[in-house]
Amino acid sequence: MSARARRRVLELVPRYLVLIPFAALFVFPFYWMAVISLGTLQSVFVFPPYLYPLGHWENYLSAVGALADPSTGQFLQIPWARYFLNTIIVAGGTTVLVLVTSVLAGYAFASMPFPGKTVIFGIVLAIYMVPTEVTLVPNFIILANLHWIDSYQAQIVPFGASVFGIFLMRQFFLGLPHELWEAAQLDGTGHLRFLWSIAAPLARPPMVTIALFHFVAGWNAFLWPLIVTNSDNYRPVQVGLQAFSYADATNPVLHAAGSLIVTLPILIIFLLAQRQIVGGIAASGIRG
Amino acid sequence: MDQTTAGGYTTPAVAQAVRTRRRGAAGGGALSGYLLISPAMALLIVFVLIPALWIFWLSFQRWDLISGTSDYIGSANYQRLLLRDDVFRKAVFQTVYFVAGTVPTSMALGLFLAVLLNRAMPLRDFLRTLIFTPYVMPIVSTALIFSFIYQPDIGVLNAAFHAFGLPKIDWLNSPRAIMPAIILYSVWQHTGYNTVIFLAGLSNLAPELDEAARVDGARSWTRFWRITWPLLSPTTYFVLLINIIGSFKVVQPILIFAGGVGGATSGGGGPDKAAETIGYYLYVQAFSFFHAGYASAISVMLFLIILVITGVQMGILSRRVFYR
Repeated sequence: MSARARRRVLELVPRYLVLIPFAALFVFPFYWMAVISLGTLQSVFVFPPYLYPLGHWENYLSAVGALADPSTGQFLQIPWARYFLNTIIVAGGTTVLVLVTSVLAGYAFASMPFPGKTVIFGIVLAIYMVPTEVTLVPNFIILANLHWIDSYQAQIVPFGASVFGIFLMRQFFLGLPHELWEAAQLDGTGHLRFLWSIAAPLARPPMVTIALFHFVAGWNAFLWPLIVTNSDNYRPVQVGLQAFSYADATNPVLHAAGSLIVTLPILIIFLLAQRQIVGGIAASGIRG
Repeated sequence: MDQTTAGGYTTPAVAQAVRTRRRGAAGGGALSGYLLISPAMALLIVFVLIPALWIFWLSFQRWDLISGTSDYIGSANYQRLLLRDDVFRKAVFQTVYFVAGTVPTSMALGLFLAVLLNRAMPLRDFLRTLIFTPYVMPIVSTALIFSFIYQPDIGVLNAAFHAFGLPKIDWLNSPRAIMPAIILYSVWQHTGYNTVIFLAGLSNLAPELDEAARVDGARSWTRFWRITWPLLSPTTYFVLLINIIGSFKVVQPILIFAGGVGGATSGGGGPDKAAETIGYYLYVQAFSFFHAGYASAISVMLFLIILVITGVQMGILSRRVFYR
């Protein structure tokens, strides 16, 4: 190692001394949850608490109802499979719908002439300022009138259009070389055909970003499903987890296992796609 | 509605009006343009625009959400809300407390970590990912994890307090401790987002200025305050706006940490309503008590607060911020 390289590494040491403890603090809660979930009812109530896992993996089988809850001898009757299926349908359905509406609208706003386009796009941006929380009551009334309470569509359709998605697709289509469109036109191709066979296939990167964002958001959705579902048939996994955690009679070890089961899929998606997710947030948050 | 709120905060699809670049006007009648935007527009109009206007009408009504009829009661909802409702007053104060506790802390921490990460070094992406993870995880699970951490007898936070000889605190059942506990959770949850945005802002700055100042012998502290900080101001204002709005409308962490605390018949909100926020009170009025009109009046207040904050910040933004 040359003297210069050595100095560079030494220069970095203080940074690591600060960054590594902070990063550890940010992941510590997940680690501690794992420790609890692998403990026993006795080990959880030891103070000061255990900070290393005990390896009772059978707790996870108890949490999903395959084994009896060791504290009560009863089998938990939580329809996790149903909850997960509901969440996948809702998150997947929202994602597909958002992709379709965003690609179509983003393309029209970028590439098609129509009167009032600038004004309408301004309205779309203004809509972005409306917080979801503010519109809870009227949205509930709308869904009640549609007889959609306790259904999949109640959790999908209201989120089927995304200003973020429209904005991102529009930005991408604005950047496509105009020659592509001119060449297609020489062949007599119309807008819809051009979008379907040329522009949309090129737009994979922003579509992946939009899909990731909305799938994660749909998976994590809690407040709205809590309001519009009232049976296990349509309840997503987040609402199921909350109901589980409120049932005080159950074993805290199993609560911990349950929350990790619900977190794990999203953690895997995030770790696989973290480049796109972090990059998407950075790009959409900053670039002008 | 936009659901891209990992953790109650809006994701930043930037509401930046971008100049429309004219494209070839040939081909495709105006009709097909309207056709292509119509699915998105229909959904945005039905589920965002109409509800946003409808709350103003609803706020002058009395309606229990179940029966089909509503009564016009003039400004009675507002009179009660602004003059006679102690819980709402408490909710306003506690919301401001939450915003003041969360926003500066998670912004300062986010900027600090971003500055440290803003150079080529081994493990950089890994460390950034660790810091960012809480932001993406489901709020129900992470809040549940934190309620374990805050558990008075077995929680790891009290274990840490114990190690330093400090007394045990019943975090979620004490009127003085519950809000700090929720603030700590929110800072943990949201700092990674701020770090990522600040990091993107920092990487857009031209390194030459900083380099020149370094050559002139300016210390890193001086270089940060004189060069980086002013150049970063557009990012800082953007982060500030997103953070303030996101924290002003906080509901979900309150629901999980304090939804059952303080008695379900009283609508939760923590001991002595110490964790009551405007957004949570709106939720309880609407969906625990079915006071649709009253909840709409609260919605209007929340909406106006957010519009005023946005307006003020946009005003500052257009005048004060340093643009390259």
